[in-house]
Amino acid sequence: MYIYASFDYSAFLELAITDLEKRGIARENILAVPLDKRVEERMLLDTIHRADGISLFDGAAVLGAICMELGVIYGFVLEWGPITWGVFGLLGGAILGFVLDYFYGRIRGHKKEKASRNRVKAGESHNTEVILTILCENSQYEMVQKVLWDNMAFGVGKLDRLRNSIRKESASDGKEAT
Amino acid sequence: MEKKQPESIRNQRRPIGYVSELTINLLHLKHPLITAFWSALYPGLGFLIMGSYVKGFLLIIGATIVNHMAHINQAIIYGLTGQIFLAKEVLDIRWLLLYVPLQVFAAWSSYQLTVDLNKYAIIAGREDSAIIPMKIGTWDIGFIEKRIPWVAAGWSLLMPGLGHLYTHRIPTSFYLLTWWIGTSYMAHSLVAFHQTLLGNFSQAIAVISPEWFLFLVPIYPFAIYDSYVNTVEYNKLFDKEQSRFLIDNYQNPRFPMP
Repeated sequence: MYIYASFDYSAFLELAITDLEKRGIARENILAVPLDKRVEERMLLDTIHRADGISLFDGAAVLGAICMELGVIYGFVLEWGPITWGVFGLLGGAILGFVLDYFYGRIRGHKKEKASRNRVKAGESHNTEVILTILCENSQYEMVQKVLWDNMAFGVGKLDRLRNSIRKESASDGKEAT
Repeated sequence: MEKKQPESIRNQRRPIGYVSELTINLLHLKHPLITAFWSALYPGLGFLIMGSYVKGFLLIIGATIVNHMAHINQAIIYGLTGQIFLAKEVLDIRWLLLYVPLQVFAAWSSYQLTVDLNKYAIIAGREDSAIIPMKIGTWDIGFIEKRIPWVAAGWSLLMPGLGHLYTHRIPTSFYLLTWWIGTSYMAHSLVAFHQTLLGNFSQAIAVISPEWFLFLVPIYPFAIYDSYVNTVEYNKLFDKEQSRFLIDNYQNPRFPMP
């Protein structure tokens, strides 16, 4: 029978695979298909000269640093002192930078507002990233399932059909069609 | 994913990163103006972003000494608050001109290095070159791990350097911690912080040492920014490395498909 499971990239995935191998599932019978995340390919194409995927943070950091510097300097002659104005500068500059980058990025056609459903933020986890297929005996199902669940699989499913019967079915389907 | 190069070359020629005991150095795409900006703000910071530590520390130490001896920070405060005469008075011309080439070189060289490294980051990505994700050494254990970017930023917010300890970037962390502790002691910034929170603003201004306090200012946002970006990039490196490992080891061509 076949058992399917979805994972994200993590140390748990390797723990699960090695545990299965230790418990007698041969390496040849484990098939892992890493899924490409759409965001990374897109970002590589249109952001060769930008910090990838985190460019919203760039603007915030730059303006935050500049405004903090100015806040501290003018804080020495203003009433509330350099620390207060430094913190205000950092926060204000960071928010301003974030907002500017957000709208500027939109105008420039980076289309961040389309970041829906199948696009994920760089570095974000909790998305299916690897599909694992395991070929095993029916009697091993409980064990394999437990190992997968114990190692943070997102979902586990099984396909319980004999290969011969599948072949017969597909063969007969073909005959009916012709 | 078929590669025609022999494994040995493919794994070594254009590496995307290197895991050592003390830090994980990796190539990732950056905007060259961003690193140039940090180096202009405080010569050398841009190099720390790129993991070019020796250059970064040389520039940082040089800039700190020259800035301190020439009283540049004091002059900046006087100049921008309209006390031009005092600014001219306080500058020490025995040291002043040393600062100009240092700062210009730091910004220019950061820009150049980023442009170069971006090219190799793209090439390394296309070659899909391998890295060894863990290194156990005498003094420490370095490995790539999935971490939460906001946790790194949060620790840096509390104290610059801690966020980099969280992501295991020890050289940056060492610099930030020593500089932050030493400089905030010299600047009396914690006393001023205390007084500011109590509302005694005039006392805060009186106790603080403007020259040293201005050294602290670029470090704080830098620590937050850099630790956040590094965490994101390390996470992406983890994904890439594991994906490659799975493709190499768990895709038996004779796997009987259902």
